Amino acid sequence: MEIFSLTLITTFLAATVRMATPIALAGLGETISERAGISNLGVEAIMLSGSYFSFWAMFQYSNPLFGLLFGILGGIAVSLLHAWLSIYCKADQTIAGLALNFLILGLTSFLFLMQFGQTTTLPSIQTIGRMEIPLLSKIPVIGQAFFNQDPFVYMLLLFVVLILVLFYKTEWGVILKAVGENPRSADTAGLNVKKVRYTAAIANGLLGGLGGAYLSTVKLGFFQENLTSGKGYIALVAVILGRRNPVGVLAAALVIGSAEALQIRLQTLGSNIPSQLFAMFPYLVTILVLLFSIGKSHDPAALGVPYERDKR
Amino acid sequence: MKKTLLVACLVLLLGMTALMAAGTKEQSVAADKMKVALILSGPANDQGWNAVAFAGLKEAEEKYGIETAYSENVGIADSEAAFRDYAAQGYDLIIGHGFQYGDPAVRVAAQFPKAKFMAIESNASSDNVASYVMACEQAGYLMGMLSASMSKTGTIGIVGGFEQPSITKVLEAYKLGAKAVNPSIKVLEAYVSSFTDVALGKEAALSMADQGADVLSHCANQAGTGVIKAAEERGLLATGDSYDQNSIAPSTVMASTVYSVPAVVMTAVEKVQSGTYEGGVYNLGMKDGVVDISGYNSFEDKIPQAVKDLIADTRAKILDGSFVVPLIETRTN
Repeated sequence: MEIFSLTLITTFLAATVRMATPIALAGLGETISERAGISNLGVEAIMLSGSYFSFWAMFQYSNPLFGLLFGILGGIAVSLLHAWLSIYCKADQTIAGLALNFLILGLTSFLFLMQFGQTTTLPSIQTIGRMEIPLLSKIPVIGQAFFNQDPFVYMLLLFVVLILVLFYKTEWGVILKAVGENPRSADTAGLNVKKVRYTAAIANGLLGGLGGAYLSTVKLGFFQENLTSGKGYIALVAVILGRRNPVGVLAAALVIGSAEALQIRLQTLGSNIPSQLFAMFPYLVTILVLLFSIGKSHDPAALGVPYERDKR
Repeated sequence: MKKTLLVACLVLLLGMTALMAAGTKEQSVAADKMKVALILSGPANDQGWNAVAFAGLKEAEEKYGIETAYSENVGIADSEAAFRDYAAQGYDLIIGHGFQYGDPAVRVAAQFPKAKFMAIESNASSDNVASYVMACEQAGYLMGMLSASMSKTGTIGIVGGFEQPSITKVLEAYKLGAKAVNPSIKVLEAYVSSFTDVALGKEAALSMADQGADVLSHCANQAGTGVIKAAEERGLLATGDSYDQNSIAPSTVMASTVYSVPAVVMTAVEKVQSGTYEGGVYNLGMKDGVVDISGYNSFEDKIPQAVKDLIADTRAKILDGSFVVPLIETRTN
């Protein structure tokens, strides 16, 4: 079959990386948040907000840096709202996250409608283009897939390394873990639990906002209602699959991305298999991987539990 | 204290959302005007399938002075409730814009014999439910001819939304049209199982481009916008769907299928007003002025005259009935 030819493998890998990038970015953010003990199901909201505001800024100022900045700010605003609800108000973190998903879906659609109205012309922006990295892009097969991409892919790789170092080589990683595992001991040891958790939330918003910004400013060049269509939920899956390890999250996102890229390619080969079955494929792969990793996962002990200093 | 603050915030948010919702719905209010409601599967400003229906509703509102309302993003699970809501509020005509709204309409209509129901692109009907089916395949066939004629690589691709009769018939006709021009043409097809996932729509199109397709088409509502963007990014050609989508990528979109949903909506409103609205399944096509193809815009000079003539000829044959585009509602290879 011609799908296995070398150029097609290269383009398949490139598609995999493109599909995985927003999921991995948002997944990394959620990983930091969950390590600190905050389970934020509002990743979809963070991404959608990031994607709307980065589009908005690009449209207004046609400056990629502004797009990036506003995407990040849009993400952080949502994650801080979630952090405030779960840390200060001690609200149920799951419910707060889900509520935010619906709220932001309505809010971004509303803002988009207010700005552009009911039109049949599509407001577009110039997308951020690809940047080829000289030597690395010449590596056979994977060179083009990983090193002839847009800046977001490089940012992602950088963040993976950065977070890996942060988690396992710095005091920060220990503090983060302590706060997520046993906030009372951390508090007793003089750590500021709230501050750590708010910081983690900001990191979550930053990365999730970038993931959303990727969709509107790199991949599509426009915004439409519910642009993320569920990618935030997939990011949550990537966090569990990757066991809150940055490399694991990246790998999980790549697996999910490749399943999606593969199902589309298999369809174009023209088989008798119903398309609905192909649509299930990425989720089937996810469930299979989850099945095989049963029992090895470890959740932070204080995940989803609000910390109350004056209670036992 | 913290609880009160939380409650206050939530109430504020709720109030804001309610205001937004109120702002987008209920347009004009008057006593004995005819009331028409429209139920959409996606946002009304999706620059495609739902946008044209919304435009039809607004046209009818202006022309007939009717009172209108609409609901966006109504999933299949909520569709019965949406029909029932409007029927209970005394709406005279309730339109569900899509194949999936046919059966829910029939179920609700039995309880509201006075109201009239309509499902666009469906096949369900009862005493007060009419399905209006647009012969979208006629335009799809012409797009297939155009795409195959303009392809240099001999490979073209089309992306569909869900694999359901109203979409499949367009893709199948597209393949037939392409084969009619060039029997050896390779048509790649994929369904993204979504009408809204633009990112996936784009990836599907890119995968076709990677396999050598140089003309990309779609019948996937909002997700199809991603297909056009993919063609633009790779410097390929594209065809649009539902309305003239040239404005999305002027140097990429050669022509589009045009489904004149406004004409369908107007026909129904007229019939209800004159008391002649009856249940049943009605087929509307090119000769009814409901299905057509757009002009070529900036491609007027780039498409060879022979190709334009071929398409004009076929279009004329479809119009006078001497050629019937086959209606295939299940996928073939």
